[in-house]
Amino acid sequence: MILLAAVVPASLTAAFHPRRPPWSQEVLAEGEERLPTVLAWGESVFWVDARSADEYEAEHVPGAFLLNLESWDQLFPEFLDRWTPEKKVVVYCSAASCELSREVAERLRKSGISSVFVLKGGWEAWKAGK
Amino acid sequence: MLFSSHRVFRTKRSSPMKLLLILFCWFTGSAFGQLAWDTTEQTFDSKPQDKEVLAKYKFTNTGTKPIKIQNVRTSCGCTTAALSKTDYAPGESGEIEAKFTFSGRTGKQEKAIVVATSANPEQPTILKLHVNIEETVKIDPEVVLWRVGEQPDPKAIHIAIAADASVKIVSVTSDNPALKVKLTEVKPGREYEAQITPESMAQPAAATLMIQTDYPPDNPEMKYAYARIK
Repeated sequence: MILLAAVVPASLTAAFHPRRPPWSQEVLAEGEERLPTVLAWGESVFWVDARSADEYEAEHVPGAFLLNLESWDQLFPEFLDRWTPEKKVVVYCSAASCELSREVAERLRKSGISSVFVLKGGWEAWKAGK
Repeated sequence: MLFSSHRVFRTKRSSPMKLLLILFCWFTGSAFGQLAWDTTEQTFDSKPQDKEVLAKYKFTNTGTKPIKIQNVRTSCGCTTAALSKTDYAPGESGEIEAKFTFSGRTGKQEKAIVVATSANPEQPTILKLHVNIEETVKIDPEVVLWRVGEQPDPKAIHIAIAADASVKIVSVTSDNPALKVKLTEVKPGREYEAQITPESMAQPAAATLMIQTDYPPDNPEMKYAYARIK
């Protein structure tokens, strides 16, 4: 009875509350953004590709800059030359479960770069949504 | 780990709790299939000279049927997992050797190795590798930034040496004379401050700051920080 008393109002809240979370969308992790949001930012986005150089060479988001932890000391100075503080940095890697974009975003934030985001769904989300 | 769980289930409990525990046991058993792992989680503390960590995850086929390891994948390109063979007879043991290459990563790292077997392909075993990578020389921030036209106030980069590391900062030099750098020792051998002062803010400028250490003695490491006027 106690369980029933809890489940019924909880179910009603989940079904009808005006501010209930959406069922179809996964929750964003801190610092993550979905592709439609990023696309809405338009020209103010600086894309960073955190995948390997081979994957980047094969295909990448137009204008994206290659930056990964493996070659950080070689790539980061050029990133600084091309990036401007007005831009929002959006990092992506090759799959939704890929850690590389989160690692690169974290390193950028620690370096003192502000407005750094991770693209939810990564490269696959871009391919599906473009 | 698996065996200690089974011991818990033999203790006397009330009926609903017993039912829950039996269900938990069933789910746990499914997740592990019939491969019994010595451990599914390992933790390492890296030393200053380490560039990678090797972890071995040993297992035994405790079932009555042969088991095939169908797939081993890792959560990061920085981690590889090697397996000498894929088929294991009942009673046979083997191991997965995971290699995690640091590649500039620092701090607490958690990597996963996902192992799918023929015993239960839908519920793979997740092996976890925790590594604490000590940052021997910590540079904070790595970048100092000014905007063109603002006041040419000096900005500081803090350099800290890990407590158990025998590293000293020998010098900090700038590759651009328009962005001058001065090194001060804050706590002898432990903390330093590099103060960067722009000569002019009239136009964009860039400098790489080379932080020379004395470690390792045969080939001392160079660290980098960056200054930009944008």
